[in-house]
Amino acid sequence: MRCGDCRDTITAYVDGELLGEERRDVDEHLASCAECRFEYDIVAATSRTLKEGLVRHAAPDVLKARIRSALAQPGAFEPPVVLPRRSWPRLAVAGFLIAAASSALTFSAMRPGSARREATNDILASHIRSLMPGHLVDVASTDQHNVKPWFNGRIDVSPEVPRLDSLGFPLVGGRVDYVGGRPVPAVVYGRRQHMINVFSWPTTDASALAPSVSTENGYHLVHWRNGGMELWAVSDLNVAELRQFIDAFSRSEAAPAR
Amino acid sequence: MAQRDAERFERIVLPHLDDAYTLARYLLRDEHDAQDVVQDAVLRALRYFDGYRDGDARAWLLAIVRNCCLTWQRRHRGDRLTVPFADEVAERISDPREADALAIQRSDRAMLERAVAALPTEFREVIVLREVEGLSYKEISDVVGAPMGTVMSRLARARKRLASVLGIDAREAS
Repeated sequence: MRCGDCRDTITAYVDGELLGEERRDVDEHLASCAECRFEYDIVAATSRTLKEGLVRHAAPDVLKARIRSALAQPGAFEPPVVLPRRSWPRLAVAGFLIAAASSALTFSAMRPGSARREATNDILASHIRSLMPGHLVDVASTDQHNVKPWFNGRIDVSPEVPRLDSLGFPLVGGRVDYVGGRPVPAVVYGRRQHMINVFSWPTTDASALAPSVSTENGYHLVHWRNGGMELWAVSDLNVAELRQFIDAFSRSEAAPAR
Repeated sequence: MAQRDAERFERIVLPHLDDAYTLARYLLRDEHDAQDVVQDAVLRALRYFDGYRDGDARAWLLAIVRNCCLTWQRRHRGDRLTVPFADEVAERISDPREADALAIQRSDRAMLERAVAALPTEFREVIVLREVEGLSYKEISDVVGAPMGTVMSRLARARKRLASVLGIDAREAS
């Protein structure tokens, strides 16, 4: 392979788009040509810098709420209308939709139903509220030795606050929230732009319960019971990664005191 | 549209909302415009959903989002003189020991965002689709409606330009 041909295909090589013989040709050429190797290093470093540094944005909750509400309209699939420029009235409408959605949650919470149903609604409402600016945490810290003691004296439950940042779930902080009319600790972890709220409270039910996932309004809720504690995690993170999180969380929960 | 189709749409298309929003954010460089355009694009996708068979739902949605972004830009060209940039680094970390590292990370990231924002649209879109969204050349080619060879050469030129703007050399590479 000549250097010119190699340079032309380096980008595809870095992206893993070359297969079989083409790939082997570049492999061989790079092994013997320092100049092309230099070129390759720059392209690979640029790609790595971009992959690591560029933000992958999460669709904001207000956008999700707007889309869900638009999809629920009977005319959603009629011919396109031109969107007007963003304006205060439209923001007000979006705000109203959120308010309507959360009062629908409240309403359904007031209907007779199991305690589990009530817990689900409270937890979901708490999670959505926590995503609004300034509501996420009362104690902001990435250190579990700050977060855990913070709950002392504020609440009669001492929640598990395992350190999971090496697994890609950094601690964000904690707050006290209300579920089923009682104050409960909420411990918050992050994953990219997603937030995971973990709620826990003591129960008299001593039996263990394996984590089970349910989905409400696009959020995933996981419920499990262990060592006399009811535990709930909620997030809009995908189920696979949320399971990873629960695995890691419950493993360290079972581990001896740190 | 039958209830069944609506459910199918939610199941197949809505999981790609983050990708759709990310593309719109980078193309429009404004979070509010991006929200408006993604909402519009999803509603269009719903109307065209009858025409969608099986295949790559993400590339299909991203192609619609891209077209909506380009239309929006044509319509609002010259609206905005200054370009706002994303400042998405978590603000919640309060530990002073982490503040320095965070400041450095933030300025690096801001420089990166600026460099990407300054690329012409045809370069910026392939960079975002490849480096942020992780699409294959085939998928990118479907989204931007250009042959794979063109995708490759745009990516190569965009990276070359970014490497020079960001001062990336072989020292960092090794």
